[in-house]
Amino acid sequence: MSVYLEKLAEFSALLRQEGLPVGLQETADACEILTALDMRDKQTVKLALQAVYAKSREEQAAFQRCFDGFFVSAERRDAIRRKREEAAREMAQRRQDAQQEMQVNGQSMDLREDLQEVYVNMSEEKREQLRQMLEKMKGNLHRSPKLYSNFIRSVFMRFLLEQQMAMEDASVASEELDPELALLYRDISQFKEADIPRAAALIVAISRQLDAELSRRRQGRGHSGKLDFRRTIRKGLETGGSFYRLTFRRKRRKKRRLVLLCDVSGSMLQFSEFALRFIKSMSEVSESSQTFLFSEEVREVDPFALQNMDAFRDYVRASGLFGRGTDLGGALEDLNRRRPAVLGPSTTLLILSDTKTIDLPRAAQALIEARRQAGKVLWLNPIPQRKWPYMASIQTMASLCQMAPCSTLDELARSCRRMIKG
Amino acid sequence: MDIAALQNKLDEAKYICGGEVATTLLVALQLGRPLLIEGPAGVGKTEIAKVMASALDREMVRLQCYEGLDESKALYEWNYQKQLLSIQVQMNSRDAGELTKSLFSDDYLLERPLLKAIRSEKPVVLLIDEIDKSDEEFEAFLLELLSEMQVTIPEAGAIRAKSIPFVILTSNRTRPLGEALRRRCAYLYLQYPDIPRETAIIRAKRPNVNEHLAVQVAQAIHGLRESESILKKPSIAETLDWVSALEALGASDLTPEAAGQTLGFVLKSSEDLEAAREVLGHPGHTCGHGHGEGHSHCGACGQDK
Repeated sequence: MSVYLEKLAEFSALLRQEGLPVGLQETADACEILTALDMRDKQTVKLALQAVYAKSREEQAAFQRCFDGFFVSAERRDAIRRKREEAAREMAQRRQDAQQEMQVNGQSMDLREDLQEVYVNMSEEKREQLRQMLEKMKGNLHRSPKLYSNFIRSVFMRFLLEQQMAMEDASVASEELDPELALLYRDISQFKEADIPRAAALIVAISRQLDAELSRRRQGRGHSGKLDFRRTIRKGLETGGSFYRLTFRRKRRKKRRLVLLCDVSGSMLQFSEFALRFIKSMSEVSESSQTFLFSEEVREVDPFALQNMDAFRDYVRASGLFGRGTDLGGALEDLNRRRPAVLGPSTTLLILSDTKTIDLPRAAQALIEARRQAGKVLWLNPIPQRKWPYMASIQTMASLCQMAPCSTLDELARSCRRMIKG
Repeated sequence: MDIAALQNKLDEAKYICGGEVATTLLVALQLGRPLLIEGPAGVGKTEIAKVMASALDREMVRLQCYEGLDESKALYEWNYQKQLLSIQVQMNSRDAGELTKSLFSDDYLLERPLLKAIRSEKPVVLLIDEIDKSDEEFEAFLLELLSEMQVTIPEAGAIRAKSIPFVILTSNRTRPLGEALRRRCAYLYLQYPDIPRETAIIRAKRPNVNEHLAVQVAQAIHGLRESESILKKPSIAETLDWVSALEALGASDLTPEAAGQTLGFVLKSSEDLEAAREVLGHPGHTCGHGHGEGHSHCGACGQDK
């Protein structure tokens, strides 16, 4: 029994490592359910434990992955162990080969450890490319050995960094399990034609949540402290003049207005389908929204154009903004200047852009002014967050407003939730 | 009760579901935990509570959530009129302190669904429907009930449950629910049934319908749910309504004409109807949806020709 409990505790710890908020209660429940119910097959045990441990659809996916990896038969465990040992041996050999290949002038290149790992994991074809390049450059070795070493090292660094980014992108795509959930985690620029219907439905659901939270009418529970005499007296008449129920004034909440500013310039082309669908969904679910598109200029979207997706796509293409350069500063200055005012204290300005713009200082100034005028400025960025540190424009803009990634639909949903709460 | 017994009871109540539903229900029952069921509208979340009430032979108490729902509608309210009358009648005959005390007793308490569920002598099935429609404050208010099986009334103190109700919460995921609420519940995600299961549901609920028509309707419904142009996806109840309508017309085959005449039972907006007719309306298709000669795949029913 104690072995059994130990195993369950280990499984709970594994789930915790995977980000599931598993506490003692869940482990105790799992233990109770396994001892109380006579479950003979693995599938039933899996379903029973899933009901206890996973408390959302997303958690169910993580749970299934952990369960399948943790509870395996002895034969399968042996097979996995053998495979791992073999892979480890192969990797050790590759590392050794790589050490020899990453030498210049007979000395190690002194590359970062993670880049050395990239070289080890690179395909044979890519490694061959580097080898050929080394071969070509060999003639320069005798002219200036030091310059040659530095040059080769920098070429290696650049090539390996590019490979590292490509591998990261590939691993994001390979984490797919449940096709429906996988869509949540796939880069929005990688959506295929067949994904569009389901992605569109998810975008609508996320937009609805975002709008519901932004414009939620909170009914005052309790009171704001001020007695409403007129209503109290009128209510008192119902009970023979005794002021039995006191009525208090309630603060009125103004519904927030949403202003969408969407980048449709050349750099955003790969995200355009997502961006247009997001705009359309937001305008459908939010009664009080205004939408602006920008690239080199800014233009307000005619609400009639948003009635159906094909018409909207045609409208955007015909607008002359699609696929051109980006002048975010100009667009924001235009919004700030508009009369009657577009931005105000009860407005939330939602910017959807990758931050790539001409004249960054001017754009930053205009964003500061927009932040002053609007009640709230939120920025959704379709560039994956892991690439943010390499882009100065993102760092500048993120320091001026609340920026959240939306490179996948899951990120979009999470960002929306976080931004609303923050 | 074991899984097979529960599955039998669900079958008897004509609730056709897979092993996941039965196992999760049994786990929640065994642990005495509330069960949170999420999924799109019309997949049978509310129906589970009704079926469980009948399977467990318990009364069902339902609390329908909406924005602005508070404890006076969900838990209790004092019967002000009765209290006032009592004051006037007994003012001169009773001691003031005693009278005041008596005003906050059971006699003046109006039970709302939550209080009714926990004060019931026999355990009930408590359905808290569409919890995502209520405010976050109400969600927080529910925590005491869900974890301790008790509620606190300021004038009367904590009231512990006389019998432990089987609590089922449903949500359409229109807003994310708090972690605290989720942690207190067992969890089940319901999806639309696949074609064989939907056919089985049609056969169970409408036994007079012929097998061929049941399969055709299930395929067509599946196609409509998959179609991007249909905004409001048809629910299982609407599938059954459609079958009933086709039965009433005496249709034994889902022809474009029969589908056209009865589509209003499945789709409830002019845009959706128009989009569906476009898919179903082309002549010359063996599955009844028609796409002309060149097409190899039916968008409505998902059938390959």
